[in-house]
Amino acid sequence: MAGWNERVTDLSIASTMTFDDVACAFPASLQEALELMADEKTRGRLLAGGTDLMVQWESGVLAMPERAVSVKALPELRTIEETEADVIIGASVTHMDIRRSPLTQKHVPSLVDAAATIGGFQIQTMGTIGGSVANASPAGDLAPSLMITDGAVVLASVRGEREVPITAFWTGYRKTDMQPDELIVRFRLPKMPEGYREAWRKLGPRQAQAISKVMGSCRGCVEGGVVKSFRVAIGSVAPTCVRLYDVEKWIEGKKLNEGTLAEAEKRTSDSITPIADIRSTAEYRKWVTGRIVRGFLEQFADQ
Amino acid sequence: MNKVKRTWQINGEEHQTEIPPVRRFLDVLREDLGLKGTKEGCGEGECGACTVIVNGEAVLSCMLPAGQVPENAEVTTVEGLEKTPGGRLLQAAYAEKGAAQCGFCIPGMIVSSYAMLSRDPSADPARIREAHAGNICRCTGYEKIVEAIQSAAEQWPAGTKG
Repeated sequence: MAGWNERVTDLSIASTMTFDDVACAFPASLQEALELMADEKTRGRLLAGGTDLMVQWESGVLAMPERAVSVKALPELRTIEETEADVIIGASVTHMDIRRSPLTQKHVPSLVDAAATIGGFQIQTMGTIGGSVANASPAGDLAPSLMITDGAVVLASVRGEREVPITAFWTGYRKTDMQPDELIVRFRLPKMPEGYREAWRKLGPRQAQAISKVMGSCRGCVEGGVVKSFRVAIGSVAPTCVRLYDVEKWIEGKKLNEGTLAEAEKRTSDSITPIADIRSTAEYRKWVTGRIVRGFLEQFADQ
Repeated sequence: MNKVKRTWQINGEEHQTEIPPVRRFLDVLREDLGLKGTKEGCGEGECGACTVIVNGEAVLSCMLPAGQVPENAEVTTVEGLEKTPGGRLLQAAYAEKGAAQCGFCIPGMIVSSYAMLSRDPSADPARIREAHAGNICRCTGYEKIVEAIQSAAEQWPAGTKG
């Protein structure tokens, strides 16, 4: 059988196992989970809400593992808290928890809006932020809103904790910076500063239950028609979610008018090289991403 | 073979089980416990036919590893609705409004209705639609379903879980 995180190309491998064959540990504490992951003999595929993995295992996209380690119920991973500067979201916090929390609503509003567009209510009550990020899909809907905070993923192992900037966490298509003995414990997200705004936009075939053709988030501040600050991230247009640093740098300090909006739209479309797939064409993604970013700026200009 | 023991309160009755931990909760309900009211539609989290309630939240039993259903969890499946005032209200409202055609989606649909109204019975049509966006009906469209839920919401027993 394939390794714990290898993608299966020979579907006959996957078909030999069923859900009933998968062993699963249910550690009662984070420390116990870290110890299980530290030892190759007890290590297993990390399992949180199951909304990605259960489908991928059943369809054979991913090989069923011999062992899983369920982190869904770990109490240390289930809280949303704040410090003066940051919102701290535990890895097993669900999309519905994010929607309901006054802390996330106030300080990372585009993350709340993104969580509300994932699946339907049932997926939102099951799926977790840590699972979504670890699954590393370029269409992961939480990714842009995390990236625009310039926040960090906190990873833990028996060796200790380390912080990885969210912008550096995804290293390629379905690839992350995680080591085999590590798990995501929480996200440290700098709060939206006073006077700033965030926005979220998702394009898919329908309102709910849709995987994005393109989606994105921005955080910024426009004063007197001049862009003081602008961060923007777009998903589903590259192997990972991407920050559009060149566009951000270009627009900052500029006055918003028809000329600069049109130029920002053009620069956005020129800055990405999406692919065509089952959900959309490359041409549409390129064009519409420009429109989305222009729309973000227009929205901010109106206030 | 590693199995885990779980005791659950399903529709108000205690069930002790010993199950493979990643077996789908849907299969435990239907095959092991004989609760066949819960349906499997797509089996991949798109259609909502397998919706059940675990500790107050609507979840998809086709993607839920049974071992993750917590010890002593309160589970409500479609079979449990007629034991509750709110469930009976919903049942009558769905029938009265003609909300079901082929009926395959209805066990999941009405369980989503019950989960939503138990949490907050002050539902407007927009919220009803949002709370049922994860339940797909391919027969009638959704007008009569929304009407039925609104009708049940208006009569929802005040101050109870339903």
